[in-house]
Amino acid sequence: MEFSEDSGKRNFASWFVKSWRTRPLFSTGVVLAVMVILQTLALGFDFPSFGDWLVRWLMNWNNILRNNAGIGIISLGMTFVIISGGIDLAVGSTLVAIGAVVMVLIDAGPNGVLLKMGITGVPAYIIAIAAGVAFGAILGEITGLLVTKGKLPPFIATLGTMKICRSVTQHFMQGYTPQVPKGFLQIASFPIAGQLVMPILYWFFFAVIFYIISKRTAFGRQVTAVGSNERAARLSGVNVQRVKRMVYTLIGVMVSFSAILQVSRIGSMDYANAGSGNEMDAISAVIVGGTSMMGGRGFILGTVFGTLIIAVMNNLLNLLGVPPFLREAFKGVIVIGAVLLQKRESAS
Amino acid sequence: MRGINKAFGSNAVLKGVDFAVDGGEICALLGENGAGKSTLMNILGGVFPADSGEIYIDGQKREFTKPADSLGAGIAFIHQELNLINDLTVYENMYVGRELRVGGKKHGMLDLERERRETEEMFARMGMDLDPTAMVRNLDASYKQIVEITRSVMMNASLIIMDEPTTSLTDPEIERVFSMMSTLREQGVGIVFISHKLREVTRLCTRFAVLRDGAMVAEGDVRAVTTDDLARYMVGHEVRTEALQRDRLLGASVLRAENLSDSAHFKGVSFSVRAGEVLGVTGLLGDGRSELFLSIFGAGSDYTGQVYLEDRPIKLGSTTQALRHGIAYLPRDRKENGVLKDMDVIENGSITVWPIISKLGFIDMARRDSLFEDQVKRLRIKMGRKTDIITSLSGGNQQKVVLAKWLSRSPKALILDNPTQGVDVGAKEEIYDIIMGLADQGVAIIVLSSEAQEVIRVCDRAIVMYHGAVMGEVRGAEMNEHDIMRLATGAAVC
Repeated sequence: MEFSEDSGKRNFASWFVKSWRTRPLFSTGVVLAVMVILQTLALGFDFPSFGDWLVRWLMNWNNILRNNAGIGIISLGMTFVIISGGIDLAVGSTLVAIGAVVMVLIDAGPNGVLLKMGITGVPAYIIAIAAGVAFGAILGEITGLLVTKGKLPPFIATLGTMKICRSVTQHFMQGYTPQVPKGFLQIASFPIAGQLVMPILYWFFFAVIFYIISKRTAFGRQVTAVGSNERAARLSGVNVQRVKRMVYTLIGVMVSFSAILQVSRIGSMDYANAGSGNEMDAISAVIVGGTSMMGGRGFILGTVFGTLIIAVMNNLLNLLGVPPFLREAFKGVIVIGAVLLQKRESAS
Repeated sequence: MRGINKAFGSNAVLKGVDFAVDGGEICALLGENGAGKSTLMNILGGVFPADSGEIYIDGQKREFTKPADSLGAGIAFIHQELNLINDLTVYENMYVGRELRVGGKKHGMLDLERERRETEEMFARMGMDLDPTAMVRNLDASYKQIVEITRSVMMNASLIIMDEPTTSLTDPEIERVFSMMSTLREQGVGIVFISHKLREVTRLCTRFAVLRDGAMVAEGDVRAVTTDDLARYMVGHEVRTEALQRDRLLGASVLRAENLSDSAHFKGVSFSVRAGEVLGVTGLLGDGRSELFLSIFGAGSDYTGQVYLEDRPIKLGSTTQALRHGIAYLPRDRKENGVLKDMDVIENGSITVWPIISKLGFIDMARRDSLFEDQVKRLRIKMGRKTDIITSLSGGNQQKVVLAKWLSRSPKALILDNPTQGVDVGAKEEIYDIIMGLADQGVAIIVLSSEAQEVIRVCDRAIVMYHGAVMGEVRGAEMNEHDIMRLATGAAVC
């Protein structure tokens, strides 16, 4: 009996090690589970009843998810960019630019563009959202053209657009504070069963869409093919330039939705600081989720896990009372750890 | 090496192999892909250890746990993918990792002048005419090979392992490498030569050893055997060498080119290939044949002249268009141009059909699977699950998967660039059979190959190129190695 128990343990251990090494979704899933357990422990059990504890636990999760929905949505687009072998540093800045465009359009104050044209209410919101998304798509398409036609490395192209977008936005929005109408705030703040869960629903909705695109569509598979071996993909009749352009357009669109969400949640935007660091947070989420920086291998589900790992860790540090300035350091540790893990896989 | 065993997982790759090389001999290590040659040499080169067995160098038992151990014992392993740094000069490459310092100090400025001088002396001693200050990037493949060999000699290697050094070389380049190998042999260096080209073996080597399924099945003096014997040892049964082409009813012209030129690689090329015909295009390195057909396929440089598809003028601006027109191109260098290394077998074999089996962008997975399974049967691809990663297959089967993706589109014209590169004897024959079968079905086929033998066996006729121009066409009795070589070296025009 003892013997079989022992070998059973060993089988489990070797299965675990093997899965950990070969299946990024497994390892990120395990890390996430451990994080959640630690976080639950940190939350403590010092509550009068199980019901109270559960409510507290769920509220805490609601907060985590809602606060990370914006970055989660951007990370989905970033996953495709990185799988295709590229990178997008501009997301934080395009977020501000798109946010500014949306707010100028829906401004309820005297300068509101749509208000002057006599359009208010839901039609105005729809126009503003459509314009925001279109603007994001155009910005993304410009990046795509710089990368494909201009043959610029994506790092350089998006470094450039990052600087341009924020600087121009800050200049034109000086001393102008648009008022976001109440109705527009409902987009993110419409309560369901008394809870503010809309951002979470948007995030999960897009995650499902992206998952399906990545697995089931010709475009999604072509993105992987381009990242895996660009020459072979081109020689197989894949329009590599089009795929790359679409990848950047798609992340532009996702940034738009994130911007709209933010405008609708907060009702204002700090053009100097909003979105700054978003690019690194999104890249971190993608990398922690097991997607290879070299392109060709990546997981939408992994990115959702990655976003959650970082989010839960932040929450955990918060619960433990770690000083805010130190929290970024833990993010750094997580990212480095994730990449070290990926290295080990390819070596073995 | 004595009693070497090695298994990967449950798969025993080497089963009690004995192998020995003396100084001053070139020993050919032969075997099909997967026979265990590379594994055996990797053990000798210290890349990974054997499960059991012993290694003796100069009569002394040695243990190698890392490549540096093996190098320290005087064994140099020249891999198929060369280990040179393109952006350094030849002499800098010679000393990478053991740079010379001014005054012989351990830390200090590099003594580039001495590195250059000693490299030059070494080349002189080997009778090699090569400029040490040349950038490695600008060297052709054979000189890169020579730089790597010279480096191992400068490191006092007494045994050099060369893993298929000639696959990417043209004939004159091969001569250059061979003469260097012979010089080394005379100086008492032992060489292990891994190759699939049996004629090279009988010409160059003194001894041979054949591995099959992880066991040593034959070894001896090369002079005592013929290439046919060697081939039989390798596959375990008779190998065909007879010509495969047969009379077929040829259809109308499918692909025709008139006076194609680009700025650098080819000039004034005309040819025509009919339905059911196999046209060979051969020549030596730098003949421009790959560039020519890449351009026709819409993936190369711009050209002047006119291409006709079924007598209609076309000009393809992209590979996507080429596919739509029914032209397929199996590229050379499978690893670089053919295989999507992160993706699974079926995705590699179906990428070309995604656009045509998608509805609203969604791939019809059932269609994809059935199309691919047809090809698996047709090409007799040996594989595990279709969702295994492509790199888990052997070279020959990978090549078949790459071919499968083209055949799924039922092309009218199929261009095959070095279709049997890096595949073993058995898989080679299967690929030839596939080519013949396609021609019987009326596909117009163009085979680009640097191996005259291959062209002679498979093609109905062949054009021979030299520095981007067509030197002539051979067919029937003229299709022999001598005439092809005369045209390919430009000798006919001199």
